[in-house]
Amino acid sequence: MMVDFAKSPQLPLGIALREVASFKNFIAGQNGEAVAWLRRAIGGADERIFFLWGESGAGKSHLLQAVCREITALSEPAAYLPLAQLPEVSPTMLNGMDALGAVCVDDVETVAGNAAWEEALFHLFNRIRDNNKMLVVAGRSAPAQLPLRLADLRSRLGWGAVCQIKALDDDGKMQAMQQRARGRGLELPDDVAAFLLRHYRRDTGNLFALLDRLDETSLIAQRRLTIPFVKTIIDQ
Amino acid sequence: MVDQPLWQQCLYRLESELTPQQLNTWIRPLHAIEDGGSIRLLAPNRFVLEWVNERLIGQITNILSQLGDGAAPQISLEIGSKSVQIQVAGASKPAFRRAADVVTDAPVSNLRQEFTFDNFVEGNSNQLAVAASMQVGENPGGAYNPLFIYGGVGLGKTHLMHAIGHMMIARKPNTRAVYLHSERFVADMVKALQHNAINEFKRFYRSVDALLIDDIQFFAGKERSQEELFHTFNALMEGRQQIIMTCDRYPKEVKGLEERLKSRFGWGLTVAIEPPELETRVAILMSKAAQSDVVLPHEVAFLIAERLHANIREMEGALRRVVANSRFTGRPITLEFAKEALRDLLALHAKLVSIENIQKIVAEYYKIRVADLLSKRRSRSVARPRQIAMSLAKELTTHSLPEIGDAFGGRDHTTVLHACRKIKELKDCDRRINEDCANLLRTLSS
Repeated sequence: MMVDFAKSPQLPLGIALREVASFKNFIAGQNGEAVAWLRRAIGGADERIFFLWGESGAGKSHLLQAVCREITALSEPAAYLPLAQLPEVSPTMLNGMDALGAVCVDDVETVAGNAAWEEALFHLFNRIRDNNKMLVVAGRSAPAQLPLRLADLRSRLGWGAVCQIKALDDDGKMQAMQQRARGRGLELPDDVAAFLLRHYRRDTGNLFALLDRLDETSLIAQRRLTIPFVKTIIDQ
Repeated sequence: MVDQPLWQQCLYRLESELTPQQLNTWIRPLHAIEDGGSIRLLAPNRFVLEWVNERLIGQITNILSQLGDGAAPQISLEIGSKSVQIQVAGASKPAFRRAADVVTDAPVSNLRQEFTFDNFVEGNSNQLAVAASMQVGENPGGAYNPLFIYGGVGLGKTHLMHAIGHMMIARKPNTRAVYLHSERFVADMVKALQHNAINEFKRFYRSVDALLIDDIQFFAGKERSQEELFHTFNALMEGRQQIIMTCDRYPKEVKGLEERLKSRFGWGLTVAIEPPELETRVAILMSKAAQSDVVLPHEVAFLIAERLHANIREMEGALRRVVANSRFTGRPITLEFAKEALRDLLALHAKLVSIENIQKIVAEYYKIRVADLLSKRRSRSVARPRQIAMSLAKELTTHSLPEIGDAFGGRDHTTVLHACRKIKELKDCDRRINEDCANLLRTLSS
C-alpha cells in the first residue's frame, strides 16, 4: 500500500526536545538577588542553606534543578527531590544524601505533618550543615507558615537564607514564553504571546503547558503560530 | 566536550533523552569514579540504586559505550559515596572505627569553631546555664556530671555545648571531646551491628574524655539504641568522663525514654535555657553582625529583635537577609532599608489574594457595596473603583482576563484590558489614584 505523505499529517518525533532548567534560561524578574545568592553558594560561598518560597509557577523548581545541573557540572553529585511527585518514596530516600554536593528538596509542604518525613528532613539538615554541603528547600509558604509539627525542623529551615520567589510580571512571562519557544525552533510572535496572556491563566506553569501543546499541534499541522490558529487550538 | 570526563559527557547526552525530573532525581545523585576502562557509579542509597538498576542502567551503558570509542567500559553500580568507598576499599570499617583509630594517635575534635563562650551572649534567660557550662568546662567529670541542658528550639543549647568542649580543650589540649547528634549515635550503632563491629563501637564511645550528645529526645522509642546509650553512660560515669546532653524538654517529660535513663540524666545538674528577653535579643544580633564585620544600626537590630522573637535562628535568618540584600543592592543598612528587605518575612501571613478578596477590600475602601462593583452602573463613583479592582486582580492573581471579566458581573475581557490601561495612565497623572492604588496594594499584600 502506498502512503500519501503529502496528505498525512507530520507526526512529531517520539523524543520531544527536553527543556533543560539552567540559570542561563531562568528569567530572574524580581528574583535577581536569590539567583545571585544561589550562584555564589555554588561557587563556594559560606551561605549554603536556602529556603525558597512562593506561589506555584514562580520558578522555584526551575531554580532547584538549575542548582543540580551546575553542581554536577563541577563533577559533584546532586539530587533534586520533588516530594509531591514521589508519593511512593519513603524517608529512607534521604539516606546518604548528605554526602552529595547539593540536595534540592521541592514541595516540602507535601510532607508537613508526616512525623517520619519531618524527622528525616531534620537529620538531613543537620548532616548537610555538618558536612558544609548545599541544601535548598522549596515550599509554597515561608517556614514560619508551614504546617510542620517538628519545631526543630521549622526553626532550622528558617535559619538559612529565606527568599521569596516572585512570579514574573506579564512582560517577563512574555519573554519567558518566547525564549522557550525559540529553544524549540518555534516562532512565537509578540501579538500571539500577548493574546495568550490575555486569554489564558497567566501562571508560567499553565502558559508553558499551553506552549507545549501549541508546539506539537503546529508541528503536526505544519502551520506557523497565528492568532486565528491559536484560537482554534484553545477552543478545542 | 571530548576532553571532559566520560560521565559528564553522558550527563549531557541524557539531558536530551530523559525528563528533567528523571535526570535530576535519579542520575545526578550518582557519583562516578572513572578508572581507565571502568566506571563505578555510586548511589547514595538503595532506593536510587534500585531505580537506576531497574530502569536506566541499559541506557547509561549504551551511551557510555558509544562515547568510549567503541570500547565498552566496565560499569558497576553500588551504594556509597566517594569518601565511604575509599574507606571501604582500605578495610571494611564503619565510620566511627576509622575515627577511633585516629583518636588513639592524636586528639580530633569535631566541634564547630564558631560556637565559643566568647560569642555567646548572656542574659537573664540563660545565666544559670552559662555559669554551669563554664564550671563544667573548667572542671570536667566533676560534680556537674552529667550536665543536662534543656529548652526550646533555637535558644543556644548546641552553642553552649560546643563552647564547653572548646574550653576543655583550651585548658587541656589532649582532651578528646566528641560532639554528635543523637541520630548519629543511632545510625553508627546500626552500622556497627550490620558490620559486626559493635565492640569497636563501644570502645570508641567509651574512650572519649567528653561525650556531647545533642537533642537526646530523638532516642525516644529506639529501644536498642537506648540500651547501648545506657551502658555507654554508665561506663563514662564510672571513668569520671564528662557527659553533656541537650534536650527540648525536661528529661522526665520525654516520652518513649526508659525510666532508668531519665533518672540517670538527672544525677548531675539539669539547667534550663529560656527564650531571651528583648535586650538580649538585640545584643545577640549586634554580636552576630560584628562577627560578620557588618555595621548594624541599633534601630535595625531592635526592629528584628522586636518582630521575630520566637527563636534566635529566625532572627539570624532575618539579619542574614538584610545583609545580603544590602550587599546585592549596594545600599547601606538603614531602618527603612531593613523594613523593605524584610517585608515578606515580617508579614505574618502571606495571604493568598483572590478576586473576591480584592472586590471586598476595594468596596470597603471606597465605602461602596461589592454588588455595586458587579452591577451595570457606570457613574464615576462606582466605575473608577471597579477599574481599580480589575487592575489589581490582573496584577495580583493569575486569572485570565476573561475570567476576571466574568467575576465582575460578566464583563468582556476587553473591558478588563481597558480598565488596566486606564488605571496605569491615571496613576501617572493623578496623585490620588496613585495613592489609593498603593494603599490597596499594601492592604492586600500584608
